[in-house]
Amino acid sequence: MFADRRIGLALAAPALLFVGLAFLLPVGILLTEGLRTPAGWTLSRFTTFFTDPLALEVTFRTLRLGFGVTIMSAIIGYAVALAVIETGPGNRARMTALFILPLMISPVARTYAWIVLLGRTGLINKAVVGLGLSDEPLRLLFTETAVFIGLLQLFLPLMVLSLTSALENMPADVLPAARVLGAGWLTIFFRVILPLTREGLIVGGTLVFTGAVTAYITPAVLGGAKVLMLETLLYQRVSVANDIATASVIAAILIAMSIATHSLIRRITTRRRA
Amino acid sequence: MTKQQAVWLAASMTIFLGAGQAGAQQRSLVVSNFAVAQDQLRKDLYAPFEAKCNCKVVLDLGNAADRLAKLEARKANPEADLAVLADFTALEAARKDLIEPIDVSKLTNFNKLYDLAKDPIGKNYGVGYTFYATSIVYRKDKIDVTSWTDLWSPKLKNRVALPNITTTQGPLLLFMMNRALNGQTPDYATAINKLAEMKGDVVTFYERGAQLTQLFQQEEIYATVTGRFNWPLVAKLNMPIAWAQPKEGLTGGLNVLTIVKNAKNKDLAYALIDEWLSTEAQTRIANSLVDSPANREVKLEPAIADVLTYGEETAKSLNVIPPDVMLANRDAWLAGWNAKVAR
Amino acid sequence: MMRMLGFAALGLALIFLLGPFLIIAGAGFSSGDLLVFPPQGFSLRWYGAVFEIERFRESFVLSMQLAVGSTVLALLLGVPAAYAMARYQVPGGEWIRTIVTAPVIVPAIIAGLALLRYTVIPLGLPVMAALVLGHTALVAPYAVRVVTVSLTHLRPDVEEAAVLLGATRTGAFFKVVLPNIRNGMMAAFILGFITSFNQVPVSLFLTGPGVTTLPIDMLAAMEFVYDPSIAALSTLLALMSVSIVLIAERVLGLSRYV
Repeated sequence: MFADRRIGLALAAPALLFVGLAFLLPVGILLTEGLRTPAGWTLSRFTTFFTDPLALEVTFRTLRLGFGVTIMSAIIGYAVALAVIETGPGNRARMTALFILPLMISPVARTYAWIVLLGRTGLINKAVVGLGLSDEPLRLLFTETAVFIGLLQLFLPLMVLSLTSALENMPADVLPAARVLGAGWLTIFFRVILPLTREGLIVGGTLVFTGAVTAYITPAVLGGAKVLMLETLLYQRVSVANDIATASVIAAILIAMSIATHSLIRRITTRRRA
Repeated sequence: MTKQQAVWLAASMTIFLGAGQAGAQQRSLVVSNFAVAQDQLRKDLYAPFEAKCNCKVVLDLGNAADRLAKLEARKANPEADLAVLADFTALEAARKDLIEPIDVSKLTNFNKLYDLAKDPIGKNYGVGYTFYATSIVYRKDKIDVTSWTDLWSPKLKNRVALPNITTTQGPLLLFMMNRALNGQTPDYATAINKLAEMKGDVVTFYERGAQLTQLFQQEEIYATVTGRFNWPLVAKLNMPIAWAQPKEGLTGGLNVLTIVKNAKNKDLAYALIDEWLSTEAQTRIANSLVDSPANREVKLEPAIADVLTYGEETAKSLNVIPPDVMLANRDAWLAGWNAKVAR
Repeated sequence: MMRMLGFAALGLALIFLLGPFLIIAGAGFSSGDLLVFPPQGFSLRWYGAVFEIERFRESFVLSMQLAVGSTVLALLLGVPAAYAMARYQVPGGEWIRTIVTAPVIVPAIIAGLALLRYTVIPLGLPVMAALVLGHTALVAPYAVRVVTVSLTHLRPDVEEAAVLLGATRTGAFFKVVLPNIRNGMMAAFILGFITSFNQVPVSLFLTGPGVTTLPIDMLAAMEFVYDPSIAALSTLLALMSVSIVLIAERVLGLSRYV
């Protein structure tokens, strides 16, 4: 009944044409802008970009924040996911829902909260001064720390969810068995848990990493002009200078990062299916 | 598809398609303007104008650079009809062929303008509608500002926000810093080096003046550099905030009204410009402390005049960067800034 | 001991994720003019004030229309595509899947910019059409993915049986397949709606004079409105999203599709 491939193709065609024409085509043209000059095709814009100290600094900051947020969310994620698993199957679903909730709340609202919290008259500074950790309220807004905190809050749930489902798929008796055999917690983690949840870690890690390096709202609001990331630099170049060539180079870098991490996920998930 | 689903689908499509049709009857005049005091400006200018022209004033807001880039991107098919720009941005727009000369004979209020405002960028590409002074705004309970050099006083360490070079105010900051430091070169290297040295102590280089309210309110900053047009916002905060009279003088600028090339509603744009320059509108806007007048006939109470940049003499006393000088040197400032300050 | 530490970590993580939000909600209840926590006094004044601000009302309506419109459009495109790939051995099926889900890989700000430059400006499209294009492309991959999950749970022989019993193939699709993937479609609709409603980067370049989405408007207002109204608005929007999700979870088991 489903042998006629032409029907299949006809059904898929509208979506294919839409995404192809309304999405991939314009994005493709944008990508070529960085390679095209009136004199012909060139890679010179890339070399200029990577020799511009400001662009380099922004690229490194983006990578640094991406990796930093990923590593931190992995550490917190394991602790949290293990605890979620310990709460037992019934509570587990409720716990999972609690981690899905923040993902559904507008990132604008979530970022806005940090302006109130991290400001000099905010709750965190009140606590810091109140506890005597510092005489003066700390300057937290418009620093890399603020962007780090904002990004971590935005993307931590993805890591927790991915690790929780990886831990759920681990055979139930592995942990008790290892404990009976007298293994210490560190040994259990590195010899048992980590190898068995490696895929979940990588899936969660790539989601967090791509999310963090391509975030716009958080660096724009909590970082500002002093803490540019690639996306905010792109927006600035376009909106202030109408500089499409540089925007195209940044776009190529971001898309390359994104494709690399997504194909990593795909390799892992297809291996699991095989 | 069940019946409910079909109904539901149809309903949602109706809502969706309805979006395009609402308000299609009335003509819309699109005004590209700074995102400053627009609520007040609606009361003082747009609403009375709408009542006369039977049209709707639609705003496209952003800082000058943002909106110039937009005009450039949409050159062939512009959205905006009337663009409100800083004088040097308008000159840049004119050179890029994005705006067109204004036929001033169509403006009944043109001759009421100060001479300084009549043709500030040449060939009638723009008419000035307001002058503003730029200075340091500061918390007088925390510091006493008497000079531009106070910006790097230890009392303002980690408590000062400065305009980014991409804003209209950015070059003005460099200009006055350079003057205060006796810098001699037109690339303002002296000022840029000083900024590079102090950038760690600067809270942020702001890109939109509106942000300053929040920064003062949260005690993130005790001082900043901004134009007089932001003063009402800051003054409303109920904090001991003062406007500095530094010994090196004030800087400032002139904003102009321009007509976008290929604009669809030129007749409405001319009508709004004429309204904008009228003694009545300029007086209302001045009394709301939004913009200082450029119309000679506007007479203000001393209390109001003190808060604004009022009068031809005051306007003449400002240290301004001529638009062509600004454009000739801006690339050098940007390069210096990106190499030393932005990093 | 480790267990205690684990629960402590869980508690702290939940405070970190949801706490800021509670603070914003609390700050919105202030009776004073300042955005502070703890709030000054208690009132519903700011929650009421949100509804009086005309620009928020306008952009809220626009965001709703945009989210509903683009999600419906994405489903109209995505459901047949998902069906084709689940049932037919379409030539180059993997390629088709890659293309249709590609919008997930391209950072949204780039998509917005590319659409503006090479589609919207050359064709002279109105702002709303531009937004619908961008959002539909963005939501389409979710529609395809979620509906595909639903279809894999439905065995093809059910349809074959219907056809054997005399139904036309189109009839079989509408009478047998659609009712069975209804929950999946609703789930896709909800996910798509929330994705579109909260979207900022793709809209950043595509919004135009007088036509702004609510999140973009809030982002702009955040800078100069320093009273609790934005806090109240954020809270109301979050409550809206959360209740949609909770109801969907109850009714459809949304988390199966995420």
